[in-house]
Amino acid sequence: MSEPTQPTIDQPTSKDFWHADWGFVVITTMMAAGVFAGTSMYYNFGVGAFNEVAIVAMLKAGIEGGSYGAAAAFGASFLFARILEGSLVGILDLGGSILTGVAIGVPAILLSVGAKPLVQNFGLALLTGAILGLAIGLIIFFVRKFTINQTKATFGADVMMGAGNATGRFLGPLIILSAATASIPIGIGSTIGAALFYAWKKPIPGGAIIGAMIMGLFFPVKL
Amino acid sequence: MHIIEILIQSVIIGALVGFAVGVGAARMFTAPKTQALGAFRTLGEMNAAEGDPASHFSFGLGFFFNAWASTVGAGAFTQDVTHRVLPNWAAAGLLVRYKDKKIIQNPKLMGLTAAVIGVVVVAFLNVTSSSIPESLQVTAVKVLVPAADQLINLVMPILFWLAAIDAGHRSGMFGTVFGGLSAMIMGNAVPGVVLGILVGKGVDEIGWTRTTKIILGAAIALFVLSGFFRGFDLTMLQQFGLGTPSWLTNLHGVFTVK
Repeated sequence: MSEPTQPTIDQPTSKDFWHADWGFVVITTMMAAGVFAGTSMYYNFGVGAFNEVAIVAMLKAGIEGGSYGAAAAFGASFLFARILEGSLVGILDLGGSILTGVAIGVPAILLSVGAKPLVQNFGLALLTGAILGLAIGLIIFFVRKFTINQTKATFGADVMMGAGNATGRFLGPLIILSAATASIPIGIGSTIGAALFYAWKKPIPGGAIIGAMIMGLFFPVKL
Repeated sequence: MHIIEILIQSVIIGALVGFAVGVGAARMFTAPKTQALGAFRTLGEMNAAEGDPASHFSFGLGFFFNAWASTVGAGAFTQDVTHRVLPNWAAAGLLVRYKDKKIIQNPKLMGLTAAVIGVVVVAFLNVTSSSIPESLQVTAVKVLVPAADQLINLVMPILFWLAAIDAGHRSGMFGTVFGGLSAMIMGNAVPGVVLGILVGKGVDEIGWTRTTKIILGAAIALFVLSGFFRGFDLTMLQQFGLGTPSWLTNLHGVFTVK
């Protein structure tokens, strides 16, 4: 991944919807509504969650009868850190705040206290997400209003981003290792898939999954 | 019919998310003056494509295949759909049409283009992956779930922890203490290490101001509250061989939701 680039300021800020702070509140509302509804689809149909396999797996653990604790704590603390950082650096990190906080952490909390309809019903999910997004947008709107240009601190955002990106690199090899323990044909498929993707300069995890699944089709394993 | 329901919901979600991604990404180029929604890595990668539509498109395509595999396998889009596929494909589309590098900094055009792309991408991913055979899904679960578990429980905590230590003495110290506490209280060290980096680097950069004190206070409150609600206090007293006072047990009884 390339180094984080310093944002450039070479355009005057106009006060229309597309550039003003209140426009930001509108897009966080829309984004949160959309991804929260995505989690609703995941809950109902098993597809459509807007996050990494590893993070969705935490929510899945709860849905399948385990504890929602990991998903709730992970999502909520990411949300908190990102809101704070987002208002200070000018870019709200979409992945941490909305994809993980709103779409994984909050549903985990809601499901663990029994507020199932808010997640299960598509319309209610859109509404819940919109309210959460509106709240996040407004918090940042007001933090910016009161603290603008007071601080140049990044609160270690670069450190966290670096670690986050490094994590993604581990997924490919981990998938191959896991495929190798599932069965030999699946392990072979996964290895070949990953090697081909690497040769084509594509991210390895995709190839590892596709290879494993193709071999799994011909040589099925039981859960 | 499931497929129709999935298709309709996907179109709504794709339009909402796509539009927000496009506007948010275009605003990144003028941050922090305009508050943006996106990620530093997205900004870096979009700058790296240097206004070449083919670069933007193929970069997005690589991650699209990855996202597709992950959706088929585990129902998870990966964050790459919003971070990489949608913004880069919207940029590619606009650059082909307008041939002006600055066009991707226009929130209106980016928003509308990304909304259209969002509808197509989200609908495609959801519809194709909800109609695959059972044996494929079993394989995917068998392969992905253990890999994901190891990633969450081992790789992520260690990487964040080492990053905290490398980032300086203060973030290393806060990261270590909060990380250990978080592993015990929340079951995963990552949230604690992240908060440790936040506090440590914040103090490094601006000192012990009111802002950093509030952050530290909020972090401690988060630990205390989640410790209480997860029954950490009772378990700890028990494991130290101490009795649990009845008022504490009663207090827990008041808040038990299950």
